[in-house]
Amino acid sequence: MNKALTNTRTETVSDRAVAGQAQGGRANPFLLVPITMFFALLGLAVLRAPNLMSSNGIGSAIIVATPLILATYALMASVISGRGTVDLSIGPLIGFINVTLIQLHGAGVIASPITIFVYAILTGALYQFIFALIVIYVRVQPIIVSLSGYLALSGINLVILPRPGGMAPQFMADWGLGTTIFSPVLAILVLATIAWGLFSRTAFFTHLRLMGSDERAAYTSGVPITVVRIGAHLISGAFAGLAAIAFTALISSGDPSQGTTYTLIAVTALVLGGASLAGGRASAFGSFLGAANLYLITFVLATFNFGAVQSFVTNLAYGSILVISLLLTLIIPFIQRHIHNFSPLLYFVALSVVALGVILHATNDSPVRDPAEVEASVTGPLAPIAPEALYVAPLEVARPDAQTIALRNQAAPFVFAALLLAVIAFFVRTAFNQSDRRRIAPVAAVVITLMVLLGAWLMREGAAAGTAGVEVEDLR
Amino acid sequence: MSMTGSTPRLGLPATILGLAIGLVLTVVGVVFGFMQGLSVQMIILAAIATMAAFTWGWRFVLGQFEREKAGETEGQPSELRQVWQQFRPAIYGFLVICGIFLALSLTIETFFNIWNVISLIILLTIVVLTRTLGRFFQENRSAFIGIMVLSGLFSIGAMNIEGFASGSNIRSMLLFASFLGIASVGQTLVALLGGLDLSIPFIIGAANVGLMYLIALGLPPWLAMLIVLAAGILLGLINGFLSFRLQGQALIVTLGTGFAISGGVQILTSIGTAYGGNVFGTVPDWLSNLAAMNGTTFGLPFPPVIAIWAVVGVVLIAGMRYTVYGRFLYALGVNRTSAKRVMISEPVYWVMMYALSGFFAALTGCLLLGWSGGGFISVGDQYLFLTLAAVVVGGTSLIGGQGGYGFTVIGVLVLQVLSSFLVGIGLDFEWQQFIFGLLILPMVALYARSPHIRTQI
Repeated sequence: MNKALTNTRTETVSDRAVAGQAQGGRANPFLLVPITMFFALLGLAVLRAPNLMSSNGIGSAIIVATPLILATYALMASVISGRGTVDLSIGPLIGFINVTLIQLHGAGVIASPITIFVYAILTGALYQFIFALIVIYVRVQPIIVSLSGYLALSGINLVILPRPGGMAPQFMADWGLGTTIFSPVLAILVLATIAWGLFSRTAFFTHLRLMGSDERAAYTSGVPITVVRIGAHLISGAFAGLAAIAFTALISSGDPSQGTTYTLIAVTALVLGGASLAGGRASAFGSFLGAANLYLITFVLATFNFGAVQSFVTNLAYGSILVISLLLTLIIPFIQRHIHNFSPLLYFVALSVVALGVILHATNDSPVRDPAEVEASVTGPLAPIAPEALYVAPLEVARPDAQTIALRNQAAPFVFAALLLAVIAFFVRTAFNQSDRRRIAPVAAVVITLMVLLGAWLMREGAAAGTAGVEVEDLR
Repeated sequence: MSMTGSTPRLGLPATILGLAIGLVLTVVGVVFGFMQGLSVQMIILAAIATMAAFTWGWRFVLGQFEREKAGETEGQPSELRQVWQQFRPAIYGFLVICGIFLALSLTIETFFNIWNVISLIILLTIVVLTRTLGRFFQENRSAFIGIMVLSGLFSIGAMNIEGFASGSNIRSMLLFASFLGIASVGQTLVALLGGLDLSIPFIIGAANVGLMYLIALGLPPWLAMLIVLAAGILLGLINGFLSFRLQGQALIVTLGTGFAISGGVQILTSIGTAYGGNVFGTVPDWLSNLAAMNGTTFGLPFPPVIAIWAVVGVVLIAGMRYTVYGRFLYALGVNRTSAKRVMISEPVYWVMMYALSGFFAALTGCLLLGWSGGGFISVGDQYLFLTLAAVVVGGTSLIGGQGGYGFTVIGVLVLQVLSSFLVGIGLDFEWQQFIFGLLILPMVALYARSPHIRTQI
């Protein structure tokens, strides 16, 4: 009996693993860490600087984070293709497109937005095409090719534009202001994400993942690996071109060395987002979260005002968070053993409800910090470091006054309803998932859901005299 | 290089031809010697050396050919086609170099002179020799090619640049090469196991700043240096432990610890000072003697760093070749599973190699303090990719199991001679970097090509 039970158990686990793979990485447990981190950082960032959640704040966040996100996207296709293709030359490539764009525009060769987009995307794709040809026909390890490209491109960038300068095209300079959420940069980001989403539904993408996981298996089962590799690099190159355009919009000028710094942070973001550098696994959602996490780390640290050691603290935090999040991926197999129907989407929704609560609390509940003060602490001159700022600043608690307490009472039903919805969603999902098995779990899920609903109803009856019941009723 | 066994026997015509060429070379050498006004003893010595070296090389090289020819079977498609298939890359390289030379001579007025023509001939010889002779060295082909490239580059540099082969220039090249060489020790060892250590530049910078800080605090310099080296080992151990379970992501783990280390050390050293990150103070004399250009080793006029590098190199090469630890390291690199079956502990070696890497990075940081005379966190930055390039150009495989420190020494020397050649012909930093990047690829492609996928099934 016991043995039979364990047998079915292992079977279901392996079934699920197969199903998870068949879904094209949609049930990817490696997203657990980045999602958790994203909301933790978002909450902290909003508590520290509530004006992040204004039109200005989100707008500038999008402007600053988009080049990084797109650079991470650009790494994805080539990293999936396997053989340890971590394109170290992505940063210099972005810089290269940036400086040539500025110089060509300065010389009056290209001016219209369409030519600029075509030029950037084609240049990126051409570079990656050469990269792919070298990898395929010269058969040198890709990391050596990318190292070579890193050195060559970062050298030639300085030749093309010895020092930062030049002017971006006028239409692009306006993008970088970041005063509104719906800027063209957001449009680029959304379109790029959608494009990746569509790409990941194609058979080509399946071939790509097969090749990345096991090149020999792909070759023996008739996948045209040469074509697939070239295609992956072309797509990478196109994303690199978009990243370069977003980067140019951000700095509104040319900079030969700034782009180079994108290499390390983009690779970091890629890994934070749960991609495997060995190939075969990467997702746009994860990469987005990874890049957003890096941006939020920098943002949160910038609000703390560490004075002269600001950049060192940033380095320290970067490094430790990177290592810790990688170590956390080690416990994923253990989690998978116990929760085998982990859904990143549901987890994301549940945490975003919590984060929404935090955001509402930060923007409405506590006295908003003077924007000028926050502004000063983010961009102002650096003061010497005060030791206590290191320890107590994250824990500062707002002292509630009567008005706040009233507000809280009003908000309580919302929070309650949201939690209720999350709980119901969780149990309904469990019940759905296990309904095809003769086990106690679906029944238990239904019973618990009913009990929770009953409890909620009883509580509402109890509080019926209060004003709060109306909202709960509505939400039902 | 299998030199053991019976000495190769040559036919009579080959012997006579060899002797004639050797004689001509010797006579040319003697004439040049008299024209430069050297002393007679020197000329006689040089002539004997030339003759002996040439005779040995002739017999050795041709002998390899003869032996291979004897073993070959007849009945291939056609002579010409066979040659084409065998030497296709060499012919491509030949044509590319000729094309570049032609283009340069047509565009640049003064480019076409006797020295450049000789350089061209040397380059072509390298390409031809690497493809023709290189295939007869089964094991250490990359070392052979590395030495060919090194000698070719050096002779081109010596011809084209005033003072390139002078004592002081060689000394400065060796000085910089020894910094890079000591920093690459860890990268080589880790690469032999199939890992990567990107924290090396950060540990170098941190050791540099940390040592200066400790000395400025008033600690005796020897104690400070010991502390820094111990800290390096400790950081390496941490790297090893963290990356052991995450071997696929070793690149990123070490990068992360590197960021954390450099950030942490800078925070520690800059609490209470006004200069963010950089520490100033006086470096003790013995430390600056250790690494300065005008340093002396027991009265001999070269900085002790070079001697340290030589000792480290000899110990490592001999140790990896002849001790059981070295052999175990290779065993693990080639095949983890079978190495585990013969009771070789994988975690111990992995962590040990990272610890050694941390130690040598810290040592480089300390030595660089003697050279620069002030603590700068960014002193290690260029070693991020240079150590990797040295390992790769030398011929150690990044997958593990192939190569060794001897190869890295050659790689370091090639990179150093190349960069001082580029400085010598007056190129700016950015052009140097550009050419560097473009040259790494063909150098690696000369020997480190992986087989086609259809041969791996």
